[in-house]
Amino acid sequence: MATKYRILLADDSKVVTAVLVAALEKEGFEVESAADGDSAYELGRSESFDLAILDQLMPGLLGLEIIKKWHEEGVVLPVIVLSAIKDESTAVESIELGAEDFVRKPFRIPELVARIRRRLHS
Amino acid sequence: MPDLVLWAVLTVFAIDVVMLVGLIILKAVHRVRMRRDAERRTQYLTLLSRHLTYENAVDPIPSNAAEDEAFLDAVIDLRYTIAGSEIERLSEIATTYDLVSRQEGLLRKRFGGLRRLRAAVSLAELGNEASAPILMEHLDDSDDEIRVQSARGLARMGYTPAIDRIVGRLGEESDWVRARFGDALAEFGEDASAPLMAFVIVNHADGDTSAIVQAIRTLAAIGDYSVGPRIAQVLDLSSNPEVQIAAAGALGGVGGGFAIPSLIDALASSDWRVRAQAATSIGEVGLAENVDDLVASLRDRAWWVRRNSAAALVRLPGGVEALYRALSSVDPFARDAAAEALEDSGELAKAVTNHREQRATRDEARLLRHMRGSGVPGF
Repeated sequence: MATKYRILLADDSKVVTAVLVAALEKEGFEVESAADGDSAYELGRSESFDLAILDQLMPGLLGLEIIKKWHEEGVVLPVIVLSAIKDESTAVESIELGAEDFVRKPFRIPELVARIRRRLHS
Repeated sequence: MPDLVLWAVLTVFAIDVVMLVGLIILKAVHRVRMRRDAERRTQYLTLLSRHLTYENAVDPIPSNAAEDEAFLDAVIDLRYTIAGSEIERLSEIATTYDLVSRQEGLLRKRFGGLRRLRAAVSLAELGNEASAPILMEHLDDSDDEIRVQSARGLARMGYTPAIDRIVGRLGEESDWVRARFGDALAEFGEDASAPLMAFVIVNHADGDTSAIVQAIRTLAAIGDYSVGPRIAQVLDLSSNPEVQIAAAGALGGVGGGFAIPSLIDALASSDWRVRAQAATSIGEVGLAENVDDLVASLRDRAWWVRRNSAAALVRLPGGVEALYRALSSVDPFARDAAAEALEDSGELAKAVTNHREQRATRDEARLLRHMRGSGVPGF
């Protein structure tokens, strides 16, 4: 039986969640979603995922703060950061903190799915 | 008499109670309605996301979805979230389910306030070329925001027959609408260059200054190099400082060597704002042969011109060396302007470091002497 990857999707936007859940489920991934940073952080510590997609600006912990806290606690999870912020510094900081990738909103669905696939299969 | 007062008090009290209860009921109904709208919006989001993801999605979108505001909300939300070919797919869905034609109908209504505005925004985001005629019609709408949305929609779909109409309206609009029209025209790109340039040439002598300035700024935003010589001509011919400032500013972006004679002439303008802008633009063109012109402007009577000239010199090959030389100028203002630009460009910090390590050059030592007493940290 093929591996069913589990993805943690954290975004307070219902639109982003709806779009990505549909696109990722079509790819055969199992998606667990969280609408705020605190729940995402807890889910990442308590459950096992193959990848996390974190929005930068969410209620509660921010995407980058979650990455920092996971690192401090030894949670090893590849992360893709989503952000509508246009400045370069968020992208640079994400990568410096160890995020695997950074995707700016609005995004192209096939491109984002391709990046996720590549990350999971590498 | 006391009975009458008592009755009056009781009546007022009863009316208050009835009004309060009515208000509470209205609020509750509104809250329930909002919650239901939000639930339907979420359902539509899920449904639309599946239709965007799967070519043959099995769960159907209700045929009357276009009548539901929540469906429109969901479509617009998605429009702002996704990019690329999925936007076309979303537009197809909006057209198939009559969302677009319904919005066209709403926009045509004589009265409708916010609904008309929503319709205009929707068409600006989702309309296809079939919606272009109605958006063209509404470039003359009495509502500012609807005119702006119409221009934005036409620009998004790249409907070039709209360019002349939008350019033509620049002289009739308020500053706010004019600026938004400028954004729309910039989105058309180089297709809008010739009509904009023609508008400037025809009107620069006696037209509405704000409209001409906006047209020139839009040309600068488009960045079409081919209009540079014409803009230089406007800078030469116009006697209106506002137009000259805009033209000089645009030449910094779309100008090349051909712009330099006009910009040099502008350095002699009687208006210090024109001179200051010309200095900045000469820096943006960035030719070594203009170092002397900018060095001369370091002695300008206006501080802003001296400052811009010094900052522009930093961008020119050989300009930093010229600034160091200007530190020996007999003109104290020129010396100050040069020192300030050297500080802003990082030369001062370098000089301080080299001084501490006892390897400062003669120029750096001169800069440090000039700055002595100015509170430079570490010196």
